[in-house]
Amino acid sequence: MSWRRWNYLIHRDLGFLCVGLTLLYAISGVAVNHMADWNPNYTVERVDTRIPAPGIRGVATEDQIRRILGQLGEKGIYENSFQPDPDTLWIFVEGRVIRVDLASGAVEHERARRRPLLYPLNFLHLNHPKKGWTPVADLYAAALALLAVTGLLMLPSSGPLRRRALWLTAAGVLLPLFYLFLYY
Amino acid sequence: MFDFLHVQIPALLTNGAFMTKTTPILVALCLLLALLAAPAFAGTFGAGLTLSERTPVSRILEDPDSFVGQKLQVEGLVVDVCARRGCWIYVAGDKPFEKIRVKVVDGEIVFPMSARGKEAVVEGVLEKFVLSKEQTIARARHHAEEKGEAFDPSCILTGETVYQLRGLGAEISGI
Repeated sequence: MSWRRWNYLIHRDLGFLCVGLTLLYAISGVAVNHMADWNPNYTVERVDTRIPAPGIRGVATEDQIRRILGQLGEKGIYENSFQPDPDTLWIFVEGRVIRVDLASGAVEHERARRRPLLYPLNFLHLNHPKKGWTPVADLYAAALALLAVTGLLMLPSSGPLRRRALWLTAAGVLLPLFYLFLYY
Repeated sequence: MFDFLHVQIPALLTNGAFMTKTTPILVALCLLLALLAAPAFAGTFGAGLTLSERTPVSRILEDPDSFVGQKLQVEGLVVDVCARRGCWIYVAGDKPFEKIRVKVVDGEIVFPMSARGKEAVVEGVLEKFVLSKEQTIARARHHAEEKGEAFDPSCILTGETVYQLRGLGAEISGI
């Protein structure tokens, strides 16, 4: 069997194998590229309410915290609390944070929800799990390199298609070089 | 080269039986790789824990300069997490109104927001930063942007000295 047929075989099968991972990295890539403008992992919802000023001085006791939760009609399980200063109380309830201004009674509920599709995609793309995912991502990178090389080797030996392929390949190489020249 | 697949190489492209035989093998290999990644979902972050002795946050904050450059292990409630990158957490101290910031290298360790309200044991090296007023404003603005909160630079009048742990490893229970 000629090397061209091998080349075709490898390119074809790797291409199929990489479809899922390529879509994962592409979608997540766009999402994390714009991290300065939005949070690609979580939606953070905040709702302001008010209760009568609790009138707590110093460190709040668990009874006082539960009373505040009762005033708020909070049904979730109370987990923990923290006071960054004597006038502020943070209550942790099932993944939510309830921030209470003890002097005024102003309350802010904050809930962070993982974005259903993007969070797991970003989780893998940015290699948060490490461990076993690292060799998978390495293999994918090697597969991409192999796809590029086998793609190049598909160049026809002559004719207008060869010229077109060379121009497109050159453009793809020059694009990052241009931006390196511009910003690096 | 492909003898381990027990097929005749010339049949590769011409014989459909090759596809039938090798496809399950390739799919099984992919699933095996996926299984290797599975144990990663644990409450251990970064290098984990290596020290046997814990230092109370209150002791560090009483005299931080004496701990600068030292690798320390602290324990406490995670009270805040970087919402964008998961690149820092605040750990509550053992005394009221105290907390210490743990900053990790972006991407090296990523703390989930579900860590808020959970107990953590964290290791890191204590760092000291003396910030000018401009640097303090820039830092506060950055934090406000990360949390999606409004920021008023006029509320910062002077520079500040910041102490934080450069986080190396952590264990967070209940996530």
